[in-house]
Amino acid sequence: MTDTHAPAIRTSGLRKTFRAADGGTVVAVDAVDLVVQPGEIVAFLGPNGAGKTTTVDMLLGLTRPDAGTVEVFGTSPAEAVRAGRVSAVMQTGGLLNDFTVEETVRAIAALHGRTDRVELVLERARLTDLAPRRVEACSGGEQQRLKFALALVPDPDLVVLDEPTTGMDVGARQEFWRAMRADAALGRTIVFATHYLAEADAFAERTVLMNHGRIVHDAATTDVRAAYGGRTLTFRPPAAVDGTDGIDADWLARVRRALAPLGVTDVDVSAASLEAAFLALTAEASTTEPIGAAR
Amino acid sequence: MSAATAVDGAGSPAAHAVRRPAMATYARLDLRRQLRDRIGMFFVVGLPTFMFLVFGLGSDDPVGSGNVAMYVMISMAAYGAVTATTSVAGSAATEQVMGWGRQLGLTPMRPVAFVATKAAVAMAVAAVPVVAIYAIGAATGARGHWSDWLLSATLVWLGSALFAVYGLAICLVFRGPNAPGIASGMIVVLAFLGNVFTPMSGFMLDLGRLTPLYGYVALARFPLTDGFLPVAGRDALWLPVANVLVWTVIFCLMALWGVRRSRART
Repeated sequence: MTDTHAPAIRTSGLRKTFRAADGGTVVAVDAVDLVVQPGEIVAFLGPNGAGKTTTVDMLLGLTRPDAGTVEVFGTSPAEAVRAGRVSAVMQTGGLLNDFTVEETVRAIAALHGRTDRVELVLERARLTDLAPRRVEACSGGEQQRLKFALALVPDPDLVVLDEPTTGMDVGARQEFWRAMRADAALGRTIVFATHYLAEADAFAERTVLMNHGRIVHDAATTDVRAAYGGRTLTFRPPAAVDGTDGIDADWLARVRRALAPLGVTDVDVSAASLEAAFLALTAEASTTEPIGAAR
Repeated sequence: MSAATAVDGAGSPAAHAVRRPAMATYARLDLRRQLRDRIGMFFVVGLPTFMFLVFGLGSDDPVGSGNVAMYVMISMAAYGAVTATTSVAGSAATEQVMGWGRQLGLTPMRPVAFVATKAAVAMAVAAVPVVAIYAIGAATGARGHWSDWLLSATLVWLGSALFAVYGLAICLVFRGPNAPGIASGMIVVLAFLGNVFTPMSGFMLDLGRLTPLYGYVALARFPLTDGFLPVAGRDALWLPVANVLVWTVIFCLMALWGVRRSRART
């Protein structure tokens, strides 16, 4: 039935149009050819409206393409979903507010015929302590973790994540990706859509850049990063020269002179990034075990 | 440990032997969720019970083969059952629109199984007010032939299924989180028009005969009243039957149209 050597994803000439409010048509996805091999970690990177979510919907069989073909592990997406080989954390996937966390997992596990995995999945999404809490009382990040738990229920070979860190603060976002990395190490194929370059950079080996419904670049993430302008080196000046009105100008001039022979052409002064500051202020003393690393 | 190591089986088809969805487990969880909704259950059980106590308790004047208490009991049980099926079916439609449907779309459950499960949950919730109000009625002096009890309860319970279609239709037509509220709110208006709460006569009665709750409740009372109306006059059996059939067709067409429309958007 399923071909073990088939790629995780194979699409060719994928196209989807929507009717716009003014009666015209909007091409959401156009001419998307993509092959993802089992075990790959691939980022779909692009601005809002680039066609990422529509592509994900077609990979999951939730939207029918107007033209082109989609295969997941050599079968139709619907077939792969029924077999539990593919699952997803969806941007717009809803939860029922009046279920508890555990009931939500139990309900979805029942539909997969995998009630044996409820405890395991709760543990792996670090939701065991939240199990009796109502979904409506959970924060956005906790709800996102619950969706992640639901995606793990069928023990899929391919996980599709559509903007999975929406609603998470910086710490939760990093923890989520740490967990996904642990999961990927177990051999799952992971495809995720994001509009954060940093997420693609930190996690994906391969990045597919999308814009206006088309793939504009598909290469190793390091190549994409190079195309964005290479790496930046940051260092911190000694406290003595770091006054309230900026870095001491004489000292900076000396730095420039000292670095010039090394080929450094530009020295840029910037305050610590908000993200770094936030993390430093909120980092817990004892870092908890990442999601997914349990077992 | 076998479950824990299943992750390591990623890639091997053997790890994905097709498993049957445990629909009964899902239905039980969903039913428990519905019964836990205190506000919802107040309108399904509390309010009709209260109205039975106010309007029906101890009214021993004869009606058909029983008494007024029996007549009010049937009416209020019908109102409770209809509120139950309307809100369960309505919330089902809303769940679909609000994204839970997408979550379910990633499970092996087929849409037909979803509809069947929701129908079972709706009928189970509808049974709650029927049993509760009939039990209170039996304990407080509602009187009728034994066949009146049996037939009316059956008609109230089964007939409430029509309003599951109504709830579905309304929520597919008026989308969004408020739709179930609109559907149950309209039930109150339709109950007044349908001769459920207070006996009507004259022009209001002629108008009410055309509304959807009229036929259903008149049919449920038929074993007791044999068609005689509380103020004056008598309905032939064909009238409530025709009312129910026509409204069944109308609600089904509305629901179908709503389903088509919601599909067209995606």
